[in-house]
Amino acid sequence: MDEVATKIIEILKKHMKESRDDIALSTALTDLKIESLDLAMIVFDIEDTFGIEIPYNANEEVEDFKSVGSVVDRVKALIAAGPAAAGAKA
Amino acid sequence: MTSKSGRRRVVVTGTGAVTSIGLDVAEFWASLKAGRCGVGRIENFPIEDLYIHIAGEIRGFDPLKHVKSRKVQYGERYSWFAGRAADEAWTQAGLPVPYGNPYRSACIIGSGAGGYSTVENAYRDLFILNKRATNPLTLLRIIGSSASAHVGIEYGIRGPTFATCSACSTATHAIGLVLDYIRHGVVDVGVAGASEAVLTYGSMRTWQAMRVLSPEGCFPFSKTRNGTVLAEGAGILVLEELEHAQRRGAKILAEVKGFGMSSDAKDMVNPDIEGPRSAMQFAIDDAGLDPNEIDYLNAHGTATKLNDENETNAIKLVFGEHAGKLAVSSTKSMHGHLLGAGGGVEAIACIKAMEEGFLPPTIGLAEPDPKCDLDYVPNVGRSKKIRYAMSNSFAFGGLNAVLVFGPPPA
Repeated sequence: MDEVATKIIEILKKHMKESRDDIALSTALTDLKIESLDLAMIVFDIEDTFGIEIPYNANEEVEDFKSVGSVVDRVKALIAAGPAAAGAKA
Repeated sequence: MTSKSGRRRVVVTGTGAVTSIGLDVAEFWASLKAGRCGVGRIENFPIEDLYIHIAGEIRGFDPLKHVKSRKVQYGERYSWFAGRAADEAWTQAGLPVPYGNPYRSACIIGSGAGGYSTVENAYRDLFILNKRATNPLTLLRIIGSSASAHVGIEYGIRGPTFATCSACSTATHAIGLVLDYIRHGVVDVGVAGASEAVLTYGSMRTWQAMRVLSPEGCFPFSKTRNGTVLAEGAGILVLEELEHAQRRGAKILAEVKGFGMSSDAKDMVNPDIEGPRSAMQFAIDDAGLDPNEIDYLNAHGTATKLNDENETNAIKLVFGEHAGKLAVSSTKSMHGHLLGAGGGVEAIACIKAMEEGFLPPTIGLAEPDPKCDLDYVPNVGRSKKIRYAMSNSFAFGGLNAVLVFGPPPA
């Protein structure tokens, strides 16, 4: 697992009610015990860690937040797009 | 005059509104009837790198032009809105200035956040511009009781004067408190409602971080709804003991029949069905009505995934079969979410709806969410005789407050 994935899993574990060590890229976010405020905190932590902005909306079921791997892919894409890109979206 | 239960009856003799769709009640109501939307691209401050670009802004508000009182002009945006709305309500009520029996009057005007723009400007001065002092009026403008104090000073109100603070239920709690003070003989007259002015860059940032705002619009009960839209403004009522109003020949607009409040005591953001259900039930019980007598419900209807479905389910629990016949609309689809002030302008929507026999619509409802299957008065308002109307306010933290209004007593 690369650095981005490792850091994201660390962030997930930090905000989970019951931390666990078997989180893989294929793990679905719905399988982790994450409540809506936890998810807002997780997105904030990811943004802060990578210096990016993710226009995530708690009212929508977003493909990017289906599994750990899809979050990692989205974050990598945002990092590649540069810090100015996120604000321009939506 | 007392009701069957022996308690004093309370009526509305004045209303005042400041919203993105009208700077007074006449314009506000005309917009609601016409289904006009006040949500648009933010113009009052630089949106810079925000990804939410819309709100229900009040454009071109000039305190020198729109606020009569020189003293209120010294306040900030949220006090200006309160001052203007209170002036409209007090003038309509036809009460003297100052009020002749000052200790028998109350002024409870809440705000979810108080002087947000003042905090932001002061902190910019201190932390970014390295100024050595803040504007000397900063503190007085920030405090959450500023609007109630300003308005109380205007009308010489010397009885209970303070602010309520319960996020999106603030105005409804304020109206409920004044109702109780009048019923129980503490006062005879009261100004009640709330004001909110949180459309600033910093505030938008905090809301954006909560991930509950829609980038597109406020579409309550819609299948495609994706969050709420912030707005600003004030909604204020003048409440009065029935005989007090009759003695002075005041025009009575409506009766405040019932009030119910409860707390979910569960979660800050995930609403519970039992809290809204109990608040609605308490309000109906307090009004002494059968649920079937309520013809219109102005829903909290924020257009978030969670609220609209939960509120729909709670309405079904309270109203049973009648839920299918009840007209339920969310006027937030037009004026946006005024947060603490929402219950104030929505109470006015209920009063006007009864007065004119007209149901204001829920606009932007092309396709309802299958889980939201009530009559939301989609897209176009319609005429209907309304016996009693209910206004729901449910807040972050699970704080629920509900009012029931009835026609002027014969």
